[in-house]
Amino acid sequence: MASETMVMPYYKVNVLTGSKAAKVIDVPADGVAIINKAKNPLYVFGEEVIATPVGDRLLIDFALEIAKSRDIAICATAHVKKKMLELGVKPDSVYDIIEIVHFLKMKEWSGVRGKGFHDLVLFTGVRCDLAERGLATLKHFAPHLKTFAICRRSHPNADFAVPVLVKVDKWREYLEDMIRTLGATKPA
Amino acid sequence: MHSKIRDAEIRALIRADDPWEPVGPTPMPTLMDLRNWDLRLLSTYEPFYAPFCDLCCLCTYGKCDLTEDRKGACGIDMASQQARWILICCLMGTAAHGAHGRHMIDYLIEKYGEDFPINLGTQVNVEAPIIRTVLGVKVETLRDLRTAIEYVEREFIHLVSATHTGQEGNYLDFESKAFHAGMLDHVALEAADIAQIAGFGYPTSVADTPLVDLGWGIMDSTKPTIVVVGHNAVTANAIIDYLREHDLYGKVEVGGICCTSHDVTRYASGAKVIGPLSQQRFFLKTGLADVVVTDEQCVLLDIPQMAKETGAAMIACSDKISYGLENASERPADEIVREVLEEQKQFLILDPQKAAEVVVRAALELAPKRSAQKQLLTEAEAAALAAKCRGTCELCNRTCNSLLPVAAAVHQAGQGNFTKLGEVFRRCHGCGRCEQECINQIPILRLMQAAAARDTFKMRSGRGPIHDVEIRKVGSPIVLGTIPGVVLFAGCSNFPQDIDDVAWLAEELARRKYIVNLSGCAAMAAAMKKDDEGRTIYEKYIPEFDAGCIVNVGSCVANCHVVGAAIKIANIFATLPNRANYELISDYILNRVGACGVVWGPYSQKALCIGTGAVRWGIPIVLGPHGSKYRRLYMSKKEMGDWTVMDGRTKQLVDTGEPTPEHMMVVTESKERALVTIIKQCFRRNDTPPGRAIKLNSYISAYKQVMGTLPDDLQNFVRTDKDIPIVYKREVVAYLKEVGWQPKPVLSLPTIIGTYETKVPIEATIK
Repeated sequence: MASETMVMPYYKVNVLTGSKAAKVIDVPADGVAIINKAKNPLYVFGEEVIATPVGDRLLIDFALEIAKSRDIAICATAHVKKKMLELGVKPDSVYDIIEIVHFLKMKEWSGVRGKGFHDLVLFTGVRCDLAERGLATLKHFAPHLKTFAICRRSHPNADFAVPVLVKVDKWREYLEDMIRTLGATKPA
Repeated sequence: MHSKIRDAEIRALIRADDPWEPVGPTPMPTLMDLRNWDLRLLSTYEPFYAPFCDLCCLCTYGKCDLTEDRKGACGIDMASQQARWILICCLMGTAAHGAHGRHMIDYLIEKYGEDFPINLGTQVNVEAPIIRTVLGVKVETLRDLRTAIEYVEREFIHLVSATHTGQEGNYLDFESKAFHAGMLDHVALEAADIAQIAGFGYPTSVADTPLVDLGWGIMDSTKPTIVVVGHNAVTANAIIDYLREHDLYGKVEVGGICCTSHDVTRYASGAKVIGPLSQQRFFLKTGLADVVVTDEQCVLLDIPQMAKETGAAMIACSDKISYGLENASERPADEIVREVLEEQKQFLILDPQKAAEVVVRAALELAPKRSAQKQLLTEAEAAALAAKCRGTCELCNRTCNSLLPVAAAVHQAGQGNFTKLGEVFRRCHGCGRCEQECINQIPILRLMQAAAARDTFKMRSGRGPIHDVEIRKVGSPIVLGTIPGVVLFAGCSNFPQDIDDVAWLAEELARRKYIVNLSGCAAMAAAMKKDDEGRTIYEKYIPEFDAGCIVNVGSCVANCHVVGAAIKIANIFATLPNRANYELISDYILNRVGACGVVWGPYSQKALCIGTGAVRWGIPIVLGPHGSKYRRLYMSKKEMGDWTVMDGRTKQLVDTGEPTPEHMMVVTESKERALVTIIKQCFRRNDTPPGRAIKLNSYISAYKQVMGTLPDDLQNFVRTDKDIPIVYKREVVAYLKEVGWQPKPVLSLPTIIGTYETKVPIEATIK
């Protein structure tokens, strides 16, 4: 997997002051490989998934496709649940972002589907400054899991992060590529 | 550390022989006296850390990398390092309030003598519930307030010492010390606000305080205009005195930014509130002020520069913020005024009366000469300034800690469309970093003059203490749960979204019959939303401490009165002795008083400290998203936690299985999520079934409003079928059946006294 560590995220508030930075996942297929390796992944949807357009679709549409492709459990934070229900999808769990991070810290937690701790946690749409704080918590206090920030603003405290993608078109292409690859590499 | 000599000193300081109540187990508690209480709280509500930095850089052994279980050269680990930072930040907050109180009290003692009586009016007999509970002294004079501040100072030095390298090394003990700092902070808040109420004659024993004008557009800049900035109104009040003495009151505009504006409008309702901290830089860059006066706390550090740029005079009045200016306190006023006017010199003046004279005389002289500098940017001028922006580099966006779309807003302004910039203004906290980054040097904050609506609003001026008679009226329904909760919106204006979200939250709660209190910048922000009839929440709701009412208690130091109200419920309604009885009172609040503090726009160390102090009292805190940058929360394991308490009546341990209060400090992501979280944080184990049914009714209705369904954790809070609100009975019963709900015990005297080692006997909880 060709990747470099995160140097500068989009937001300066999230600049890392430290020694352990995310690996940047430049190629969506590498991100798919990370997801494919996970035994019990969780996908955390933040409030921006229901308010952020990516081209002519909402961010949640892409996130749902990623989750469905591998039947990844979904945690709806903030007030995302309402929109998900309108879209006909029931989230596996409903916590606010800090609460789910708090539970993820605990290796003994049963996880949202009762299968034990989650070994990979994907994040999309969480307010960037708040997401970075939560990722810092998991980096330091949850050695039993990996985090993957699927966010075009990029997150150095994650284990894996999408590179900064300023242009929305590039972001859409990244998401579509990831979804396409997930479809093409679906395990039997 | 206690000794016989110190114990004797304490007895003398608190006049232990005064018969108003027997002295409880912890008069003037030291770092260790409440440690067991703290550790008991922390066993249920574990610290949650979100490190800002992988390293420790405090001493010359470092930098030390603390990632992946590494320890620093001194042996500190990541959790303890975070907790140490929290303690340091809490100490900053305590110091700010404590020094404020010390200055206020010394000033008033100098003016009136130490025997000056503290009289809070006919409606307030329990004059200082925090000081009574913590120290064990009944406050009768300014001297007693000084005793309170001296106690804070004495404890403070031990806490600061603990932060040194090679001192405290355990995160729970750091947290216990942070609690101690928070408790001291509340003592300082109460001492400071009572001093200024008594010394300056602020409103007390009256609920219906005047409605005052608020908004940056409210300033009549055709008059000489003075703007006071900060939190210590000694000089601002002296300016009002000078204006009155010279028949200038009403002829000179006096407006305030931040808490000084609260306190100067408590002194003179003709003064105006320009707005919260978030609008400080924006307003000062308009040039509408002829003279800018700074006192202390939350004052921008580049005010001298901004004043110079706009041709305004500037006088600093606090030894905490001297700006490198000449201290002219001893020089004749005539000389100072001449140099201000002729040489545009800026001064530090620590004599409030002299500062007031200089400020007013300078304003009178400057105003006629500055009319050209008091013109706001027109849309055409703003569009011309913004025209260079192509909206593509996004350097402004990237540096914005509010994550605002500044680039698009400026680009559109350059094309003559100011709608988006107006929206950005309402979410902007005015740091000005976007301007620093702009490669075209576009003055973005100045552009906002053309975009910001000049709406004006009404805010009720701060009313100070909650009345004893109000406590008698609401004590029972609060404890039984039939008034669903007491909520305080406190703190700063570092909001995650629109500035009027506080008003939305306050109104959602008031219409559900919560007692809603506001203070500080949150109280100002809550005024910045009008209904269809043009009324703010202060015009719509009754200003009493009662169900469905909305109260502005005042500035940041007035936060003490809401904590004080919770103590008074235990003391006046439940008749528990509060004298030096910290654990007993806090246990009562934790288990029986459905109170919750909210800091929706947290930024300062003061707000962190106030919140940390509230947690030690048993009051949960809900923070806005920026609160995650405080790096520490207190969270339970919810249904996975141990919720065993003592039944005070049977003296048996009972597993309640009920996570209430659910967390003691938690961040929420959106205002919608905040609403349901606040409601939930007002649940208490002591709620009677009818009371719990009312609280659940609020919870379910709010949850349905923002989430569209029944709450996913409803089963955690329904104890018996009598708790189920009638309106939702059918669907709740069906839901509970679906999730396999089991009944839980309902206690009429839940307490955690007896579940840890304490000097407080369990019998003390029964009255």
